[in-house]
Amino acid sequence: MSKVKNWHLKREVEYPYDESRPKKQWAIIFDLNKCIACQTCTLACKTTWTSGKGQEYMFWNNVESKPYGGYPLAWDLRVLEKLGRQEWSEKGEYLGKTLIEASPAHERVLHFAPTDEDWMYPNVGEDDCAGAKVEGGGHIGALPHDKWFFYLPRTCAHCTYPACLAACPRKAIYKRPEDGIVLIDQTRCKGYGECVRACPYKKSMYNPHTRTSEKCVGCYPAVEQGIQPQCVVNCIGKIRVMGFVSPEGKARDDNPIDFLVHKLGLALPYYPQFGTEPNIYYIPPIHADREYLKQMFGPKVEAAIEKYKKLADDPVAHGLLCLIGSSDRIIHRFAVDKGVAAGFDEAGAEIVRVPVVEAVIERAAYDAKIGAIRNNTP
Amino acid sequence: MNRTTTWLGALVLALSISTSPACSKSAPSKPEPLKTLVVSKVSADLSKPDPDAAYWKDTPEGLVKMLAQPMIAPRPETTTTETIVVQAVHDGERAAFRLRWKDADKSEAGRLGEYSDGLALEFPVKDGPTPPVMMGGQGMPVHLFHWRAQYQRDEEQGKPTVKQLYPNQSVDMYPHEYKEAPGNPSAAEAFLPAVIEGNPQAYQKVSVDEILAEGYSTSSVVVGHGATAKGAWANGEWTLVIVRPLAIPGYSSLKLGAEGNVAFAVWQGGKGEVGSRKCVTMQWTPVRIQ
Repeated sequence: MSKVKNWHLKREVEYPYDESRPKKQWAIIFDLNKCIACQTCTLACKTTWTSGKGQEYMFWNNVESKPYGGYPLAWDLRVLEKLGRQEWSEKGEYLGKTLIEASPAHERVLHFAPTDEDWMYPNVGEDDCAGAKVEGGGHIGALPHDKWFFYLPRTCAHCTYPACLAACPRKAIYKRPEDGIVLIDQTRCKGYGECVRACPYKKSMYNPHTRTSEKCVGCYPAVEQGIQPQCVVNCIGKIRVMGFVSPEGKARDDNPIDFLVHKLGLALPYYPQFGTEPNIYYIPPIHADREYLKQMFGPKVEAAIEKYKKLADDPVAHGLLCLIGSSDRIIHRFAVDKGVAAGFDEAGAEIVRVPVVEAVIERAAYDAKIGAIRNNTP
Repeated sequence: MNRTTTWLGALVLALSISTSPACSKSAPSKPEPLKTLVVSKVSADLSKPDPDAAYWKDTPEGLVKMLAQPMIAPRPETTTTETIVVQAVHDGERAAFRLRWKDADKSEAGRLGEYSDGLALEFPVKDGPTPPVMMGGQGMPVHLFHWRAQYQRDEEQGKPTVKQLYPNQSVDMYPHEYKEAPGNPSAAEAFLPAVIEGNPQAYQKVSVDEILAEGYSTSSVVVGHGATAKGAWANGEWTLVIVRPLAIPGYSSLKLGAEGNVAFAVWQGGKGEVGSRKCVTMQWTPVRIQ
């Protein structure tokens, strides 16, 4: 067992292989304050990747309602329950055990194994409210809300230390050095299902038709061409952005992902205590129960929420949020200047330019040019 | 005096019965621990594996102890298959191995989380020092014959369809099936990565896979050399026959009059055993082809 650096946990963790970070690390940031669970991402992924035989039940991208939703059923609670106490020091170091550290000797990763039934209710718990009974005439007047739920869109996290990769006895899972995308080698996989058991986020899925396991491929054919994944470019709410995240200490402030994750501390990994260093990051929902959010996003969640509330005062952050969803290309560098935000590709060429605040134009109701009255009905 | 003679005579008779291979049928439940697997020649056609063939009644049975695979996680917590009973014969061209072991459930896999019962025979590829018994080692390859109940069902009934595995499933349509003319399955399968990559797992199997390995995590299915297998499960016990050619140049060969080695592994699918979750023999068993 090797000791590898996990910057989410501010300490070394155990892993069966040595630390070997990719040249770039694929990452997505989701703003949970904006997601409306329209499932457009889910369907974009489904129609692109999983419309074949044996994939009927698969949603490599899914959106579930928290706290009561889960695909597969209660995936997170069933792992958390096994892991026991998960405490953090005041300096943000994780004091508990990771899933690999807590594994019994005859296993590689502490896990629960989902059954067919667990995958059968992808939308269970949708819009179910937590916190208190919703009464007629009730009123929500303060943050956080006493009655709350939020939507959690999820893809594979293409972890730096994937539990699926650690668990595969055939070494059929690999992490690409060029972009950090984690793939199951479909020529080697024999469908043992070890990755299905081991992935704490339950993003490896068994295909009973091909008798191999399959998972989110990070839309690597698009990423190789500088284009963001299907779930990102199809997001109608523009709540997500894909790019590349640097490890702590190597962050670039003009990298959109690094800016939101490292510079602002606005986007946080989910369930970092699992110890896999997941590479999907979330801007936490400001209205939801704080204790619940701490369990999911770790001790930095309060600071992230306070930062988010004041985001409109930060012109650079404001500009970056306007860039998100404005191009299907991967933005490697961004700049905000004089009220305009611009995004650049890997070679430095500009790929998008947007105003931070859209100009408001007022027209007279009567348009003399066409001799008609316009109205503002969209 | 007469009484003593009679008593001695009965003792000699009893001893001769218990040690005679021809009479192994009379005590099938108490085979001796196997030291060397003697493979006698039979005048029968072994091309079709037959667990009930008459020649098995005259072939001695040997008991082989198994242990939960102890080296590599994930592994079983406890030994699920304590022993297997082994017999072997040859016809000059092929060797047939008959194996019996207790397994309370017949498991053929198919759906998520369902695993198949299985058994593998392992042989060293090269003469000389024996390779590490568990999957061989670098430069010391091993040749395996891996039978699965799942593969046998494939051979007998065809690869199960999704509808057979999940009779109550419904799906609006598989878009890829509309890409080409009806009856041409190529388009429907073309977007299934394991199929298009030629992964043998995604295709209909014959009962037994041939595999080469040079250590943990290296096993790969190779093109077969005509090995066949037939298992029958009844009353909580599998009886399986695997037939392999004696000589497979470049892989493993069993030579007449010479001694080779064999090792065994068993999977109980009903207990979640698959891959490295298995019971194994911890040492090579010598094989002598007579």
